[in-house]
Amino acid sequence: MRRVRSLSVALGLTCSALLAGSTGDARAATVSEQEWTSYRDKFLEPSGRIVDNANNNISHSEGQGYGLLLAYLADNRGDFDKIWAFTRTEILLRDDGLAVWKWDPSASPHVSDANNATDGDLLIAYAAALAGKDWRRADLTAAAVTMARSLADESITRTGGLVLLKPGNDGFGAADRDDGPVVNPSYWVFEALPTMASLAPEGAWGELAEGGNRLLAMARQMGPSKLPPDWVSLKAKPVPAEGFPQEFGYNAVRIPLYLMRAGTMDRATLQPFLENMTDEQGRVLIVDIASGSTKQALDDAGYRIIPALIRCVLDGQSLPEDLRDFSPTDYYPSTLHLLGLSFARARHPECL
Amino acid sequence: MRTPLLIGVAALLGVVVLRQTGLWDPFEQPADPFGDSASVIAVAETPEPAGQKIVAQTETPAAQDEDKAAPVSPTAPEAGRFGNRADQPAVVPMATKAPEAAADAPVVDESALRYFASRGDSRRLEAEIARLRALYPEWTPPEDPLAAPPQGDAVLDRMWSLYSEGKIAEVRKAIADRETREPAWEAPQDLLIRLALAEARETLVNASEIEQNDTVIRVAAANPAMLTCGDVDVLWRVAEAFARTDRQRRAIDAYLYILRNCTQPEERIATVQKAMSLLPRDALSELLATEQTVDGKGEFETIRSEVARQGLINAATDTTIVASPADVALVEKLAADDGLVSDYLLLGWHYLHADQPKVAEEWFAKARAKENSADASQGLGLSLIAQDRPVEAEAVLYEWRETDDKARDAYLAAVANMFAMQPPPVVSADVLNRAVAVVAAAKDAASAQQLGWYADGFNQFKTAERWFQTALSWQPDNEPSAYGLALMRWKLGNSAGVREVQSAWVGRSERIPTVGQPSEETASVGSNAPTLAAAPGIAQTPPEGQSKISASAAPRGERRQPQRSAGGEAKGKRVGAVGCTTTMDPERLSPDTALRRGWCLMDRNRPIEAAKAFEVALKGETQTRSDAAYGQSLAYLRVGMNDMAAVSASKARLNPARSVEIETALLSAQATNAYGKGRYVETLIALDARARIAPERNDLLVLRGYSYLNLARYGDAERVFRAAAATGNRDALRGLNDLWAARNPGSNPY
Repeated sequence: MRRVRSLSVALGLTCSALLAGSTGDARAATVSEQEWTSYRDKFLEPSGRIVDNANNNISHSEGQGYGLLLAYLADNRGDFDKIWAFTRTEILLRDDGLAVWKWDPSASPHVSDANNATDGDLLIAYAAALAGKDWRRADLTAAAVTMARSLADESITRTGGLVLLKPGNDGFGAADRDDGPVVNPSYWVFEALPTMASLAPEGAWGELAEGGNRLLAMARQMGPSKLPPDWVSLKAKPVPAEGFPQEFGYNAVRIPLYLMRAGTMDRATLQPFLENMTDEQGRVLIVDIASGSTKQALDDAGYRIIPALIRCVLDGQSLPEDLRDFSPTDYYPSTLHLLGLSFARARHPECL
Repeated sequence: MRTPLLIGVAALLGVVVLRQTGLWDPFEQPADPFGDSASVIAVAETPEPAGQKIVAQTETPAAQDEDKAAPVSPTAPEAGRFGNRADQPAVVPMATKAPEAAADAPVVDESALRYFASRGDSRRLEAEIARLRALYPEWTPPEDPLAAPPQGDAVLDRMWSLYSEGKIAEVRKAIADRETREPAWEAPQDLLIRLALAEARETLVNASEIEQNDTVIRVAAANPAMLTCGDVDVLWRVAEAFARTDRQRRAIDAYLYILRNCTQPEERIATVQKAMSLLPRDALSELLATEQTVDGKGEFETIRSEVARQGLINAATDTTIVASPADVALVEKLAADDGLVSDYLLLGWHYLHADQPKVAEEWFAKARAKENSADASQGLGLSLIAQDRPVEAEAVLYEWRETDDKARDAYLAAVANMFAMQPPPVVSADVLNRAVAVVAAAKDAASAQQLGWYADGFNQFKTAERWFQTALSWQPDNEPSAYGLALMRWKLGNSAGVREVQSAWVGRSERIPTVGQPSEETASVGSNAPTLAAAPGIAQTPPEGQSKISASAAPRGERRQPQRSAGGEAKGKRVGAVGCTTTMDPERLSPDTALRRGWCLMDRNRPIEAAKAFEVALKGETQTRSDAAYGQSLAYLRVGMNDMAAVSASKARLNPARSVEIETALLSAQATNAYGKGRYVETLIALDARARIAPERNDLLVLRGYSYLNLARYGDAERVFRAAAATGNRDALRGLNDLWAARNPGSNPY
């Protein structure tokens, strides 16, 4: 409980102000112009679409959300508006005001699945809220409010005493799957939740943060590695969900980054990640939950920066030189890399 | 300075219609989550154009305020209401400025004008002049717009260029970049309004494509200026969104709006065509009433015929719809005037589904006489089957039996019905032989099984046994044939043979293990057997054997009606699928995707749409096709369209369990239907057929009892009621009372 409590306190502080600065023009960019330009040149199409180059060049609400957040952190209003134009006209189409999760350039219509993904929704609403406030853009704030209200109404759910985030509004509940409800701990963009609470105060955002922490604590008890799986079934005792790789995988690797960005500095929370998710070379491990064995070691700087940041936060260790320079590789690790660098600049300049 | 607020007449479509439904969201200031209202206020208070961003990107306040939107331009007093005169300009832009403000000379934003002029884009230039004129009546365009001086603002020029290329996101970037670079610079309001409209259109179309209908309506309501005759496609999409969200009246109003205001002839006809697939027949009459006369001819003359034909098609495919006599009359007139075989066929199918097989037969015969085709023959065959004339049906269908699966299935249905007739018909050896040959060639286990029951009906247990064996050799997992085989062996006293079948089917059949135990089916054997003693043998042996038949006996035959049945007890049972909350046209889907969508729709209890999705899935490979046929029959059963369910079940080979499930449901419904019509013999026939494939439920046992009772077979009725009453069934107890009353007329048991 102590861990949960300390995190709640940290959440209460909200890092958005710390990360982003609280007043418009005075705010310094935490993603450099050069970094953003190289990211943009590789992953942003002229139409405003963020391209997941390792995934058949599709786009998704998560990518648009990350793109908006990074453009905001780079203080680039032009690119923000470009991404926003695409997001509004191509992604924010759902009747409930949330984003369709998938946009496929080779499909007709391009939206091949109209379900939403709540991490994408949170990221989009969060970025819009931050930009709306700092750049005095009421249109962005209004859009963020609409999304936050819809998330509060449709996507937050109560399961056996826990307040949880549905991964999507359709298809993950007890009625939808044999092992439902199924959740994804990495969909909790913890740093966004206090902002959501200010946008839609009627939502159970505080309880949602607490539910996310309790879920994480349970999810870390499933295997010898003490690492959470990407997808968790909560039908009975929490277990890795059916139909997904039963591993600490590409989804879950970002969890410690999200925790730190939300202000967590707690050793009890972060140390087990450090001990189990990385090897001597600092690579990030994909770990089988049941056996604890390593399935893959990820060498991309965008993954390696995550354990390096934990060392920075817990022990004040400097980031290795090669992680301080950004050059784009694939969409997902490159995104994590910039989020990590932005975090270090805003909160731990001593590690740079 | 006033903000020029462009409100099309069409705006009222959004405003008025939405207000009626209570859906309209009154203007709402965006909440300020940070408790810092400065941003909102600053923008709102800054005179135009600083406020433009709000106006353009979020809502147009005046457009949301119905009091402001409703007043109409003084030059067009009727504009803005549904029911405009058709010659009214479709769009009457108007400025909602205060009268005193009109005295000021307007500052007209001519940037777009100049841009289009410099590009030599005369079409857009003219549209822009018309727009500005409507907006500012006192404004006069430059004398020679094509000679308009260049703007001297290359960056803005570039923005217009991007805009005209449809690169909206890039314009947004260019504006934001410049605003950051030059804080004093403000984007022209005209550009912002156009961008907002272009984005709104994009959003609306995208949402419409994935049938996010609420989004379509929301965007249309927030951007009424785009609802104009200049973009009828958007109006169609809005109308469709209303129709698909059960706001039929609004959909009708939207279509009527187009028909009363828009003048493009092909768009007007297309409007009625669009409506045809979305609105009920009655509503179409309302639309057709707006018909205008062009060169002495009604513009909808052609489409009226289409509407009438569609009316017949709808009624033929949906038993809840009755084709209007006017539509039938019109198609009959078309048939008489034009002599199109397609109209004959339409009428044939109409009358067949309207339970007038005699009339249907005439139309199909007429069609067939003019142009013999698989379709005409199939219709004629089914009409004959429906009139209990399967022998003639067989003759009609024989030559088409190899056209396609449907034709072959229809032929096999005729054959099956022929074998099941009561009393058995006199057919020539030639016909019998060729029928058996088709069954053999098709290796159609279902027909072979039918022949088994047919032989069983003549007490030719040995022949029946061989047919069941043949069926099993063609389809080893054909459980009904295995059941028949076990039953025949039991009747032949071959208990070792029964056990052999039973042990082969352990765990795979509920009823095979019960063969030999007392039941409705086995109990009735002895009582009926004596009447069959006189039946001469039918030496139909599978499949090479000679087929002979005698019509002298009236055996207890089983009637299989693959094409015509009724009822529905089957339940959809499938794994849930994600992602069918929206409606869409399944035609675009691959068969496998359509199949998943079909099951998903079944889970959501949208069987009509599911049936359409399954129709697409029927184009798939063997397994998909089979699953689709199964799904479609369940879908039709769920809405009580039993004829369609039967047809669906015949579209592909189903696995035995599913085949039994569907047939059981169909026979239950058939029995209930027949009973409802007082056809007790048919009820019993259906129940017998059902009992062969599934254990008899108590409610059906009671139905059986009452059928006996109505036929004055009191002994049988008593036996059945007692069996059901023993389980505590109240209806059966009541049946016993009714039975007592029937046996003792005039007495009261109580």
